[in-house]
Amino acid sequence: MSRTLKWILAANLIVLAILAFVYPHLMVGPGKLIPGHAKLESDCFACHAAFTGAESQRCVSCHKPEEIGKLTTTGLPVQNPLTSTPFHQKLISSDCIACHSDHAGVKRFRPTGQFNHRLLEKATRDECQGCHKSPKDSLHQQITGNCSQCHSQDKWTPATFDHAKYFELDRDHNVKCATCHVRDDYSRYTCYGCHEHSQQKIRREHIEEGIRDFDNCVECHKNADEHDIRMPGREREGKRKHGRKQDDD
Amino acid sequence: MSTLWREHILPFALLVSLLAAATLAGDYLLHRLDLVWIGRYLGIPGTLLIVGSLIYSLRKRKYIASGNPKTLLTLHEIGAWLGSLLVLIHAGIHFNAILPWLATVAMGVNVISGMVGKLLLGRSREHVLGQRDHYQLRGMSKEDIERAVFWDAVTLDAMTKWRKVHIPIFIVFAVLALGHIISIFLFWGWV
Repeated sequence: MSRTLKWILAANLIVLAILAFVYPHLMVGPGKLIPGHAKLESDCFACHAAFTGAESQRCVSCHKPEEIGKLTTTGLPVQNPLTSTPFHQKLISSDCIACHSDHAGVKRFRPTGQFNHRLLEKATRDECQGCHKSPKDSLHQQITGNCSQCHSQDKWTPATFDHAKYFELDRDHNVKCATCHVRDDYSRYTCYGCHEHSQQKIRREHIEEGIRDFDNCVECHKNADEHDIRMPGREREGKRKHGRKQDDD
Repeated sequence: MSTLWREHILPFALLVSLLAAATLAGDYLLHRLDLVWIGRYLGIPGTLLIVGSLIYSLRKRKYIASGNPKTLLTLHEIGAWLGSLLVLIHAGIHFNAILPWLATVAMGVNVISGMVGKLLLGRSREHVLGQRDHYQLRGMSKEDIERAVFWDAVTLDAMTKWRKVHIPIFIVFAVLALGHIISIFLFWGWV
């Protein structure tokens, strides 16, 4: 390699090194910071500790946990809080990085809108409605509290509601909720939502059996097995094998 | 002319195209399978493969005395190609900072330059094959002749001129990549 080329190479690389120190946000920063942190863009060590990454202790030097959700870092009241109730005061530790990140290029890889509820104090963790509003559908409007009987704290869906307790959703009944619960009204259901159970056909089959009260299907039918019929008041007989086929035999 | 096209230019074009296609396919699969996070770490094995491929360069400059140079050259070509593929997938199509992108571009130029070197080496070897008879007449063993022909080929004038371009390109790539790696070590939360 010629001497001139070596000098040109060295000069270029030195210029690049200087640029990396003067404009770190452009040269090495993995994308833009959020607008609130824009002033820190060329001061990497405002948030990062050398060789260990972003440090929660540096976050709390500006974002005091007792003020988060109430006051801004300049001491003014928060105008549009992101959550209905401030909850950072109820965290068991100040591990900011567990939920928060910055730089557009890093945020892309972080799941958004996820919060590890185990970071909350036990008492706060069980008070879901302290932070969350109930869904507007008729089922949830009837319920107050005790969300954990159906929902986990990791995901809202799938809910752990045991539908089989009322009716088994087997292969033939693996349908959209709205097929049976019209207009998201989970307090009611209809079995006439599919062609298999037309009102006329059901009526005819029950009248043939001498059954006249067949409005509440799940009172007797807990699954698709037409022979597994549990008539109220006849529990002592156990699972009653009953149906037209038997009578036909 | 047709031999040059068939034996040199076509394989060169195929290798470059294959690298581009494999990069796009890898990027697509990581996105499709929701495994994008893996791409963030592919820079590490990619760099290790590229660094490992430099054993040939050390052998050629006699810093390492053992190892079949022909085998090491093959490993150099494969290691650098695979390492570059992993680094390209690692880079993705996300433009965040200038330094890593300069390093990526320098690596791309380096890979293409390396493939040009491979093409030139093939041509050089054809030129020096005639010398084989000369070595045979001197009573050299078959293994020694192969080695002598190989070294003659890599030291031929065209190869020497190519090296004058390839090495500065590699130095630029190495320094830029090192800058990126240092910045990652400095700011990344490894613990």
